[in-house]
Order: sequence, then C-alpha cells, then structure tokens
Amino acid sequence: MIDRAPYAQLLGVREWIDADGSTGLVMPASVALEGRLGFLYGGVIGSVLELACLAALAGEGEVAAERPRPINITIDFLRGGLMVESYAQARIVRLGKRVVNVDATCWQSDRESPIATGRMHILRA
Amino acid sequence: MEPEDPFERLKSMPPRGHHALLGIYHVAAGADWAELACPFSAGFLMDAGSGLVSSGPVISLIDAAAGAAIIARTRRWEPMATLDLRVDYLRAARPECTLHARATCHRVTRRVAFTRCEVHDGDPANPVAFAAASFFFTSEP
Repeated sequence: MIDRAPYAQLLGVREWIDADGSTGLVMPASVALEGRLGFLYGGVIGSVLELACLAALAGEGEVAAERPRPINITIDFLRGGLMVESYAQARIVRLGKRVVNVDATCWQSDRESPIATGRMHILRA
Repeated sequence: MEPEDPFERLKSMPPRGHHALLGIYHVAAGADWAELACPFSAGFLMDAGSGLVSSGPVISLIDAAAGAAIIARTRRWEPMATLDLRVDYLRAARPECTLHARATCHRVTRRVAFTRCEVHDGDPANPVAFAAASFFFTSEP
C-alpha cells in the first residue's frame, strides 16, 4: 500500500518481497534522486527509511499506517549512497498501545554493509 | 558581493538532482544561517484522497538548508556528507503550502559541522518540525 502513495511514486519506491517472505522497499537510482554528483541525496535515503517504517506498520495490519502520525525519526548515514538500486526494510521493535518503535535499515549491493539506519516513533490512534 | 564567494556560487547554481525534483530554492541567508523553501506538489502526498503530506520532503529540505547554512558560515566550498539527522515532527504540514526550512550552523570544527533547523509551512510561529543534523567534511586531511 505504501507504493500507492504519490510521494513513494515520486521517489520511484516499490514494495519488494525478500526470499524469506518478509517485505521491504526497493528504490531504483535516478537523476532526480541525486545529491552531490554520483551520490544519492541524503534526504532521499532518510525518506526511504521512513517509508520502510510505515510499510512495516502496514504489514502488521496497523491502521496507523494509512494515516501515519510520525513523532520523530533519527537517521545515521553510514556510507555514501551510490547511484544504484537501494533496498530498505524495517522491524517493529515495540507495538505499544500509543506509540510504535520501529528500526529501519537501507542497503545497496551488500546487505551486510548498510548505507543508513533509522529509528522512528509513530503515534497510534 | 564577490562572484567567487562560495555561498553566492551555491545560490547561483541551477537546481539539479533532488533539489530540482522538489523545486528547492534559496530564500534568505545570514552569517551562519540559510533559509530554503520548496513549493507544495501533489507528489508530496501520502494519500491523494486525504491530503496528508509526507514528511519525506521535510527531511530533504532540512538536509539542503543545513548544508547551505554550513557554507554560509564557513564560506568554503568543501565536500561534506550528512552524518546524522534527527527530526521532531511537531505537526503535519498542510497541503498546498510552501515549506520553509531555516537552518543555523552553530559550530564548525576541522572535521565536523553542527546545525539546527526549523521548518514551517507559512507561519514561522507555528513550526512543522525541529531538526538537528551534523555533517563531516569528506576531503582528505
């Protein structure tokens, strides 16, 4: 459902199913996503982490995913993102009554060498 | 105004890449701050029906404004990368409204620059987001 969002379509983000059946997002590189020459824009990497967090919520059948109320996000940029396909996956750390804590990772060719990680708090109800 | 001033060079560069996609433009600047803006686009929505604006463009605009604030302060053209970025979403941005981000660079060391940023969608007294971001200079020592 996240890939139906106009903003996800603006970035070219699509849902992606891992070999183990878990879902994530994939984002092909394009000139419109470039920051300094040859590198993905940092804000784009942050945005795909955020969309992955919302996709994880949607995967739980969480209604908050349809009208998300983000509280905050913290992004660590670990490596420069190259102009190649990027993947992002998120894991719900705690589905509380009022707040959801989500961790997300973004990687490119090597999943063991992520380019960014993020932590997000999202309000439920 | 010297044409070779790095901040003037930044301002005069035609938008490209993601800045061009979002329509990010320069608004104002001072000795250690810069304000950038981007007009609303239907592509910013999370849900075309509900008019809910995604927070993604807010992140990208903060990243851009913080980088510009560093150049406003250092007046140096140095390659840099965002180290970390934290955004507090005080409220959802309203559709059809231009987003403004005003970033201040509070300190620069040889390797690292520290910034803070406020985002609003028309009224600076009613902010959409607060952010803090640090950057490091990527060139070899």
